[in-house]
Amino acid sequence: MFKNEEMEINLGPQHPSTHGVLRVKLRLDGETVTHCRPMIGYLHRGVEKICENQSFFQGQVWTDRMDYCSAVANNLGWVEANEKLLGITVPRRAHYIRTLLNEFNRIASHLIWLGTHAMDIGALTVFLYAFREREDVLDINEAFCGSRLTTTAFRIGGLREDLPPGFEKLVHKFLAKFSSCLEEYENLLTENRIWKKRTVGVARLSAEDAIALGVTGPMLRAAGVAYDIRKAFPYAAYAEMDFEVPTRTEADTYARYQVRMAEMRQSARIIQQCMDGMPEGPVMAKLPKILRSEVNEVYHATESPKGEIGYYLVGEKGSLNPYRFHVRAPGFINLQSLPKMAEGGLIADVVAAIGSLDIVLGEIDR
Amino acid sequence: MSEPNVPQTPEVPEAPAGPYVYDYKAAPNRQITMPKTVPLPGYRTYLAEQKAATEADEAKWQKTLADFETAKAKAEAEGKDAPKPPVRPVPRKDDNDMKAPVPQEATDADLLKLQALLGDKVEEVFEQAGELVCQVKKEAILEALALCRDEADLKYEMLADQSATHYPAAKDFTCSVVYHLTSISRRKRLRLRILAPEGFMPESACPLYPSANWMEREIYDMLGIRFQNHPDMTRILCPEDWEGYPLRKDYPTVGWGQRDISFREDRGGMLERIALQKAGQLGINLKQPKAD
Repeated sequence: MFKNEEMEINLGPQHPSTHGVLRVKLRLDGETVTHCRPMIGYLHRGVEKICENQSFFQGQVWTDRMDYCSAVANNLGWVEANEKLLGITVPRRAHYIRTLLNEFNRIASHLIWLGTHAMDIGALTVFLYAFREREDVLDINEAFCGSRLTTTAFRIGGLREDLPPGFEKLVHKFLAKFSSCLEEYENLLTENRIWKKRTVGVARLSAEDAIALGVTGPMLRAAGVAYDIRKAFPYAAYAEMDFEVPTRTEADTYARYQVRMAEMRQSARIIQQCMDGMPEGPVMAKLPKILRSEVNEVYHATESPKGEIGYYLVGEKGSLNPYRFHVRAPGFINLQSLPKMAEGGLIADVVAAIGSLDIVLGEIDR
Repeated sequence: MSEPNVPQTPEVPEAPAGPYVYDYKAAPNRQITMPKTVPLPGYRTYLAEQKAATEADEAKWQKTLADFETAKAKAEAEGKDAPKPPVRPVPRKDDNDMKAPVPQEATDADLLKLQALLGDKVEEVFEQAGELVCQVKKEAILEALALCRDEADLKYEMLADQSATHYPAAKDFTCSVVYHLTSISRRKRLRLRILAPEGFMPESACPLYPSANWMEREIYDMLGIRFQNHPDMTRILCPEDWEGYPLRKDYPTVGWGQRDISFREDRGGMLERIALQKAGQLGINLKQPKAD
């Protein structure tokens, strides 16, 4: 067979399809990728070091700024890890409100993913539709805590404030129209021939490879492994919720699209249940004014829209700040699987693979 | 297991040799506060601490009683009223929802199984905050990981997270390396831990769990622990020529390049040059970037 001379090119770090500042070193034989090496670190801010030098409360704002598309999910993991470290019991109403906002955040994050991923592949229209609904979710964030993107929504021990008046109306208004909106996106994509040509069978990652590489979230569920931390290790109010874990077995980009679309439906279901079964009571635990830790070491993982986000904290006796703060960023671990998916495929499919990973570089580089 | 967490005498930190040299006396606000304790949780350490605390409490009470007896005898001899008998203080009840989890004895079947299989290679097993912890000898980590992955009763398929912590106050080791394993089929989590002294190179977990690749690179980048048989032991987040390991406790949070002047005011960089000179007078070694 005719063999071209190999060529090495850099994709990124300023390429729009890399969702930030990811650089991928590619070696090409014609249009086929023979070698792929993701290079990261362009957005490294030393979040772990900063949080080790700040008090338990102050560290939370940095978790917003790691993965700015799913700030609420990062907040939830952070406050729950701290509650586990300090041994705090949180009121039930706070758990419900956290679950509610977390699911809204999942919808917002998946909508960003849908818009940008479709745009990478060439379907520009979906982006505009997806951002229309995301705006409503951000309005709900704003109604709850005043900020839209970097929310700092929760506090260690519960919430800063209860739900504002009129919040229920906002939620019901959103839920009433959201399922028809999902149908709109699916009309644009699901049976679209170009979309299917670009995604079906592209960037496969089998279940064995995914587990070996530590891949979690929709990527793993699209390979047929029904591993969702909300079900496997329930936290917040997820043990009381009735929802399904959507899975596919094709393990390709199209399957990941289907899994994420199904997850948004489930999120809407959970939001409905939260609103229906919202218990009464306080939203903040009784805490001392100053939080001091004991010698302890915890790893708390939650299901962020991207996958398993884990916080590893070490507490020092009588200390105001964590002795060690480490984030297991889902994007960081998931990105390791890019060479496995891209090698042997076409260069155009690398963009589809990166898109299906749903990465945010702020979280990968920390 | 290392020494229990004995608070060590605070020392004035010596200016470390290297790129970040500070004169601590001249610039006290830029001093690095080194940790004085070794916050490494462990059941045995916890028991020893509890025992010492109970004994100290008892000794204090006995001393109070003895003091009371002498005071009483003295009062009787002088013909005065006898003093009030002392009341043993009850530990103050905290009226809040916070109760720090303490280490507990290992009762989980997984930990007991691991202990039985590994024998004396296990240094400690305990549970804390509902998490299973097993500390193994640093040379036996690969064996322990292989057991966790392949043993039919354990089946921890995924290495979810790997991280390390720097303990400068510890005597026998400098860093702990932790492995967070997840069993997807059995819905369990387990933490393996090793204690590595300076210069020790732990075996890489890559042959067993390929996900360890980047996590070990990150540990090397951030804490300077090199792993044996790793396919690609290079820095991952910092540039290749970066000096120092940022997450070590002796790494400063303020370095050269910290600006006190806004760019807007500083047209032409004159103010910055003056500040650099001043900083030089303060004894801060402002290393200029290497020219390529």
